[in-house]
Amino acid sequence: MELQDQNKKSDKELFEELCSAIGRESVFDNIEERDRYSFNGVKGESIPDVVVTPHSTEQVSKILSIVNRHNIPIRTRGAGAILSGGALPIESYIVLDLKNMNNIVELNARDLTVTVEPGVCIKNLQDEVAKSRLFYTSEPGILDSTTIGGIVSKCTGGMTGLKYGVTRDYVLALEIVLPDGSVINAGRKTLKSVAGYDLARFFVGSEETLGVLTKITLKLLPMPEKACTIVTLFKDIDSALKTTDSILVHDHLSLRSLEFVDKTCIDAVSDFSEMEIPAEAEALLVIDVDGNEKNVAKDISRIDTLCKENGALKTSIAHTDEDRNILLDIGKLISPSLSKITSMRLNEELSVPRSKVGGVLKNVYELSKAYSLQAAVFGQIGEGHINLNVICNNGETAEVSARNLVSQILKDVVSIGGTAKTVLQPHEVEMMKGLKKMFDPKGIMNPGRLFGNSSAHRKDAKSTKEI
Amino acid sequence: MKIFNKTKKEVNRHQKALDELIRVVGQERVLSAIEDRICYSYDGTKQKVLPDIVVRPRDTNDVSNTLKIANKYEVPICARGAGSGLTGGAVPLKGGIVFDLKNMDRIVEICPEDFVATVEPGVVTKHLQDEVARFDLFYPPDPSSAAFSTIGGNVAECAGGITGLKYGVTRDYILALEIVLPDGSVINTGGKTLRSDAGYDLTRLFTGSEGTLGIFTKITVRLIPKPEKIRTLAAHFSDKDDAIDAADSIIDNNILPRTLEFLDQMTITAVRGHTGTDIGEDVKALLLIDLDGTDESINHEMSIVENVCKESNAFWTKVSETAKERDVIWAARRSISPALYNIAPHKINEDICVPRSKIKEILRRVDQIKEEQPIYIANFGHIGDGNIHVNIMYNDDPGQKELAEIVVNKVMREVVELGGSISGEHGIGNKKSQFMELEIPPHEYEIMKRFKSFFDPKGIMNPGKMFIK
Repeated sequence: MELQDQNKKSDKELFEELCSAIGRESVFDNIEERDRYSFNGVKGESIPDVVVTPHSTEQVSKILSIVNRHNIPIRTRGAGAILSGGALPIESYIVLDLKNMNNIVELNARDLTVTVEPGVCIKNLQDEVAKSRLFYTSEPGILDSTTIGGIVSKCTGGMTGLKYGVTRDYVLALEIVLPDGSVINAGRKTLKSVAGYDLARFFVGSEETLGVLTKITLKLLPMPEKACTIVTLFKDIDSALKTTDSILVHDHLSLRSLEFVDKTCIDAVSDFSEMEIPAEAEALLVIDVDGNEKNVAKDISRIDTLCKENGALKTSIAHTDEDRNILLDIGKLISPSLSKITSMRLNEELSVPRSKVGGVLKNVYELSKAYSLQAAVFGQIGEGHINLNVICNNGETAEVSARNLVSQILKDVVSIGGTAKTVLQPHEVEMMKGLKKMFDPKGIMNPGRLFGNSSAHRKDAKSTKEI
Repeated sequence: MKIFNKTKKEVNRHQKALDELIRVVGQERVLSAIEDRICYSYDGTKQKVLPDIVVRPRDTNDVSNTLKIANKYEVPICARGAGSGLTGGAVPLKGGIVFDLKNMDRIVEICPEDFVATVEPGVVTKHLQDEVARFDLFYPPDPSSAAFSTIGGNVAECAGGITGLKYGVTRDYILALEIVLPDGSVINTGGKTLRSDAGYDLTRLFTGSEGTLGIFTKITVRLIPKPEKIRTLAAHFSDKDDAIDAADSIIDNNILPRTLEFLDQMTITAVRGHTGTDIGEDVKALLLIDLDGTDESINHEMSIVENVCKESNAFWTKVSETAKERDVIWAARRSISPALYNIAPHKINEDICVPRSKIKEILRRVDQIKEEQPIYIANFGHIGDGNIHVNIMYNDDPGQKELAEIVVNKVMREVVELGGSISGEHGIGNKKSQFMELEIPPHEYEIMKRFKSFFDPKGIMNPGKMFIK
């Protein structure tokens, strides 16, 4: 890349400069450590020159001013973050891993807010706020080890959509280190604030292409009195979708989450889940309800009835926390289980208007068949979220044809009003790039993310390294 | 009535813009007679500045054409919905064009199966609420102005309202926007889906941008199932700190009321006699609490809420059983705005927001300021989310207006010192732009201005708002 060649210091000099700025113990240039952060770029395996693991905002600021001065691209990593995009031919870059910034800075129970560093795991946060009878929920499919920094910078892991909204609705304020090393505070730790433009939420979902989030203030909710989970199996997808309509549209029940799991995913998890799954099951729903104890009991019994009316093969209700966890684990197990049955898959998160889910699924399976490929689908369909995986085990030809399949699906999704990165018009893409440039004129922050290749390329042999 | 003084060149450009607007957008959509212009010179702040031209677009195309012309001749343009804003957002400070969006008032679609609705900006908020209620759906943001303010105005100011604690604010319900930028180009942000990964979140950048970046022509909102029931409890206290303690305890008991409103003694004095209910002289603070949900959850929560109020020394509580009783209880809250003029003929209505744990402290500091100055202050508002309306009342005596302004300044400093925000829901406009730099640090302020120049390099969009210069 042209910008790397000017003023570029030797790797050794850069290493020493980083060491003197943040301490030798947080800078790594040994091949073992660097290899753990390598990723698969278009030019094959790409290994960072240096890995830094800062402990504070001040250290992040120092790192960014150094790399900015030397025009060295930086890739940020939170624990559990999924590698996405970034397929630019970067030959030289450093990795910034925020795993050591994992403190819960302050919990203000009375204000219903908590401020955390980005490396805090969802599970740790949930456990900590639960002590004050508060909660921060995120979709059950999100792994416990996923970090707050990860879900905020990608705006994934919503608060289970229909009932609670999405991640951005719970971000009140951010401390951000900009590419030049300056630190800004966006938003306010109040439940309402409209002074000036909404800088905080502009950074939510920006995938750290504009700056590094170093502190995140989240809005919390009172812990619901009771939560209960029901899992139901159907012999075809249509019955599962009809059940969803009955619950959400006809009965207007508010669900904490509603995860759909298709046959391929069911088969993948069945070996690992403690739940018994009948062989003829083609679709599975994991439905989670919370609220007032009496309401939950009433809703669960109604959902059970609706499932049976729509021909459910089986329903299981979990009343205890332990049983609930077994059922909710199904969602968490899907992605790792898919990795066990295939070494390579293309993964795309689709978001479509809820009523279009059925049509999209039909299209996905028909197209997959036409391409002789296998699709595995799961997702929070109550909010129109579809996690699409195309399995491509058979070498390069399969991969090329999988890419074509995915891009065909994306086109169709966009045409029915769904969102995917391809939805942007050329002048809108130009605008986004202009905004990126406003914050990151040298283009050092996670080049290739957000406006790069849209499909996440999962080489699962590597995913074990994505701690 | 103020008239913005223009240079000869500017007058010339305005004339050319007017001619072209009449030609392109149409004679019937472009007004320039003085009597029409006067109607568009003011907003809820009672400031008056005369616009030169009024344009009343019908559709996105009209909006785009108007902006192209305004941009070409560098004529300022100020969007207007109901004109009920409280910070000067719709006042054409530099003259130019007022863009009346009231005619773009179609509900484009309501999709009960997707829990979304798409509307034009001129739709009155209450109308949207009523229309979606026919499908048993609910658009939660509920500013006190909902009966007359427009969705476009609500999005432009990121309106809050009485349901903020439980349901959040306007920005939490905006899924997609169609926006016309100052150069006339049209962009679409977000989608009819809860999640969107289409680049940076322009939807939220434009929500609350007060007409300084672009004009919304379509707004897609998220809907939720309508709660089955609402019940209201009123509680009277002889000490305002007891009322604040009660509000805290309700939330500590893991209950998020649909509304949790607080009225202080001065506010109660003003509404006394205005309302159907008698509020005794011994009432120094009042809480109005709405609970919504199912019968089961409301019954359960109401008994806790009532107990908590009594434990916090409420000496009188009343639960409404019927819609009519609710109306009576709420009459006190609804009559505040007009009733405050019983105290003095003028008011400065601030909408500060502090972390909830700081409410006692900010009210203590406001009391202290009041004691130092011969002026009346009435406090009421959304105590559940820390958003308090501090109303500084003044009369026509010499020096009173200046004194009121000094008091506002002091209050703002205290708010910022306590980690609060100078505006929870009204926006900045020109009324609060002088306080922006109290809350927003220099670098952040500069970034906001960079956004402004990025989208509006010629500075035609609502000049004089949000930023001082």
